[in-house]
Amino acid sequence: MELLDNLATGFSVALSVNTLILAVIGCFLGTIIGALPGLGPSNGVAILIPITFTLGLDATAALVLLTSVYYGAMYGGRISSILLNIPGDEPALMTTLDGYPMAKQGRAGDALVISGVASFVGAFLATIGLMLLAPYIARLAYKFGPAEYFALYLLAFSTLGGIASNNQAKATMASLIGIGIAMIGQGASGTARFTFGNLHLLDGIDFLVAIVGLFAVAEVFTFIESHGKSSSIGVKLDKVRIPWSDLKDSFGTMIRGSGIGFVAGVLPGAGASLGSFLAYMAEKSWLGSKGRFGTGDPRGVAAPEAGNNAAAGGALVPMLTLGVPGSGTTAVLLALLMTLNITPGPTLFTDRPDVVWGLIATLIIANFVLLAMNVPMVKVFVKILMVPPAILLPGVTMISFVGIYSLTGSYFDLLLMIGFGVMGWLFRKMDIPTVPIILGILLGGNMEDALRRAMTLSDGDPTYLFSSPIAIGLWIFAVAGFLAPLYFRRVIKKPQAITD
Amino acid sequence: MTGDRVFGAVMIVLALGYILSATTIQVPLFPDPMGPKAFPYLIGAGVIVCGLIMVLRPDPEADWPAATALLSLAFATIVMVAYAYSLKPLGFLIPTAIASGILSYQLSPRPVPAVLTGLGLAVGLFVLFKYALGLGLVPFPKGWF
Amino acid sequence: MNTKLRALALGAAISVAGTATIAAECIAPANPGGGWDFTCRQIGKILFDIGQVDQPVQVTNMAGGGGGLAFSHVVNERGDDADLIVAASSATTTRLAQNAFAGMTADQVRFVGAIGADPGVIVVAADSPYSSLTDLTDAVKAGEDISFAGGSAAGGFDHLKVLQVMKASGIDDIKAVKYIGVDGGADAVTQTIGGFTTAMTGDMSEIVGFIQSGEVKALAVLTEERVPGFDDIPTAREQGIDVVAVNWRGLYVPKNISDDQFSAWADKLQAVADSDEWKAAMEANGLAPFTKVGGDFQSWVDGVVAQTVELSKEIGVIQ
Repeated sequence: MELLDNLATGFSVALSVNTLILAVIGCFLGTIIGALPGLGPSNGVAILIPITFTLGLDATAALVLLTSVYYGAMYGGRISSILLNIPGDEPALMTTLDGYPMAKQGRAGDALVISGVASFVGAFLATIGLMLLAPYIARLAYKFGPAEYFALYLLAFSTLGGIASNNQAKATMASLIGIGIAMIGQGASGTARFTFGNLHLLDGIDFLVAIVGLFAVAEVFTFIESHGKSSSIGVKLDKVRIPWSDLKDSFGTMIRGSGIGFVAGVLPGAGASLGSFLAYMAEKSWLGSKGRFGTGDPRGVAAPEAGNNAAAGGALVPMLTLGVPGSGTTAVLLALLMTLNITPGPTLFTDRPDVVWGLIATLIIANFVLLAMNVPMVKVFVKILMVPPAILLPGVTMISFVGIYSLTGSYFDLLLMIGFGVMGWLFRKMDIPTVPIILGILLGGNMEDALRRAMTLSDGDPTYLFSSPIAIGLWIFAVAGFLAPLYFRRVIKKPQAITD
Repeated sequence: MTGDRVFGAVMIVLALGYILSATTIQVPLFPDPMGPKAFPYLIGAGVIVCGLIMVLRPDPEADWPAATALLSLAFATIVMVAYAYSLKPLGFLIPTAIASGILSYQLSPRPVPAVLTGLGLAVGLFVLFKYALGLGLVPFPKGWF
Repeated sequence: MNTKLRALALGAAISVAGTATIAAECIAPANPGGGWDFTCRQIGKILFDIGQVDQPVQVTNMAGGGGGLAFSHVVNERGDDADLIVAASSATTTRLAQNAFAGMTADQVRFVGAIGADPGVIVVAADSPYSSLTDLTDAVKAGEDISFAGGSAAGGFDHLKVLQVMKASGIDDIKAVKYIGVDGGADAVTQTIGGFTTAMTGDMSEIVGFIQSGEVKALAVLTEERVPGFDDIPTAREQGIDVVAVNWRGLYVPKNISDDQFSAWADKLQAVADSDEWKAAMEANGLAPFTKVGGDFQSWVDGVVAQTVELSKEIGVIQ
């Protein structure tokens, strides 16, 4: 019953007219920020921090506003993924794989409703998980050393071969290109690599620049070339209704995706993108030949959205209990807490229950606000596809430019983005998948760092990589994940036809 | 056929350059058995293998656009690059109006709607970013107002 | 003094923009979430709260190049902007010393002051057999397998702390201890509690919670005196290892502002240091008092840079 008492305390802190208004505003702004390419959840929260100071909000109010923005952005990223094949932010990357094919089939409304509900399920279960398990599950981070992290990243890459390409060499090439790009800059290794004395390259290439280039700018190029022959824009849309049978079918998917996402979120260094990725790939292998993943399977939308929203909630666990930000956005929230003189760490739950439980209550409120806001608004979102391309696409381009420009205020990133745009157009023409490039950029550096740390600690002994049950377990999954697509390919003979 | 072959060959050359560049990375003196070079070498080698496969077993030829379409793509790229360089000196509104107007014209060659799209997007996005999201955008070149 | 300052600020504002309402800007050379962002937001807030500036200080995050982009922006484009302050810390001077900013050097800006420092600290897991810093260095001398995790990259500030400690206790072989750089101090401490490394080196503020919860033992703080609030942690000096390494939190300003403008910022910073708000903020964040402003600070920084250059050459980070 202590839990209920705590929760009551939380709601007494978080529930007032003012905070509810802030939650609604935060959810709304967050959804927009998430949907705009180039503005991710971490930028969104960062942009709004100064506003909380200007408005003179107190600690609770500021937290309510910013966590609503955080959760809102996690919901919002899927909108542009589904409608335009442009991930609004990096966790929404996987949603493009089945969401966009659904939109091209006129089922944009269904995809948005399913992903909205999946986001709700993921975020809600993660909040419950945070509430019940936070103090215990935080210890999971102590079990993950360099060897375990390396195996985890390896697991992610081993399943890449099965992604949306019929040519294994091209998919592998794409992920290697991504990892190669991730080597640029001065990482945890200490030495600057491939920077050629250029300061802009010292921190490496921002994955948002790559995402916006490879997806948004490339989309514009493709459209100019083909005049919209294979685009979702202008496709006759089905009437928006609640797709009950799809929701029923994907219920199990949502639960499994939430579980995987939550665990990925709890591990510092994994984060929401890995959560959505693993949720998608796990579901794909789980369903095997029963799924039509990559061609507009509703479960291919439900899995990554449940996964990334659960991961967003899960990432709060190490942030609050260890002070370790598991993602860019939680790093920003951590900074906010510090500025409010609240220091997260092992003692936070006992020292400041008002903050912790107020935050949890806020998350629950924000989640319901978002569900209530997002499902009815699907009708508005799908109208985006009715905008004439001659207005919509220049708009998307300009939004991308401003989003990326706001990262560093330098034209260097803009030029890089255009470069990625040309590359994205070329790769699409040649049937080279671009999703693995992004994953390579996101995770490649981490994977190398983990391996180098493992080798440093073990004096170069490779058996160190298999020195714990967790590491061995992850290796087994990785090997299975690598072999599964090869096996299915043989069973099905011809992989699913791409219905363009 | 040729597309994949040329691409594979270009990637092999790039990978060799990548490996060559990696040989110049400074190696520190403290303990680090793998060092900063091993991983880049592995990646370069992997790309070479994939490149060879593409050269030897290419997919059916992609459907390449006609020369006119390529020209308009090149033009769109130039417009974007010019836009990137002009944001800082010229502020947000004027370059945005011009660049989005041109892109709009490329997508649908009707001058009046294109001009209106350019103006509308410039003003609309400025309002969205500046006032709704609070980004510090500069509307006009310095010293105009 | 206050009126004089106000008049001065007003004069500067009028001459620059023709209005009296220009806001000072603080550049945090990183994305929100780190020490630099904290410095800007906290100092900016207090400057306004105690009336040192008329307008809330506008905080700009300019991430890139480990602080190098902001540095080059200040040097090349804002060289005489008297309304600009930039957050800095030991990482800034370490990188400048290690030539990580593409050839730019510490003398291209003016370091105006530090008003607090995050004490360097060395901790081990609660169940570790080592209970003092000398236990640890003796183990290294005996050839045991000792490893450190830290929040900065290999060769960075946290790594240099370890090397300084080893040198001061007579261990000259830089290969004697292993170091892995992870993503921040809290991450480093979880690696140590998890038993993957022997010890952790980092800043006090990052691990206050772990010390209070008893999950780690602090072997030493790298300060001149014991840190208020953590009086039971001995300094390295007390244990015969003469190393002082603190991650100071401070500001630099553009090089070409006038000496009056420079001392105006130094005075404002001093006022923040003396304020109760700053004392509370320092306490809440595990910062120790460390106030050096104006010319004193500049010469102290010059000394630190020279020392870092020497050590970095030894470990092969620069030639």
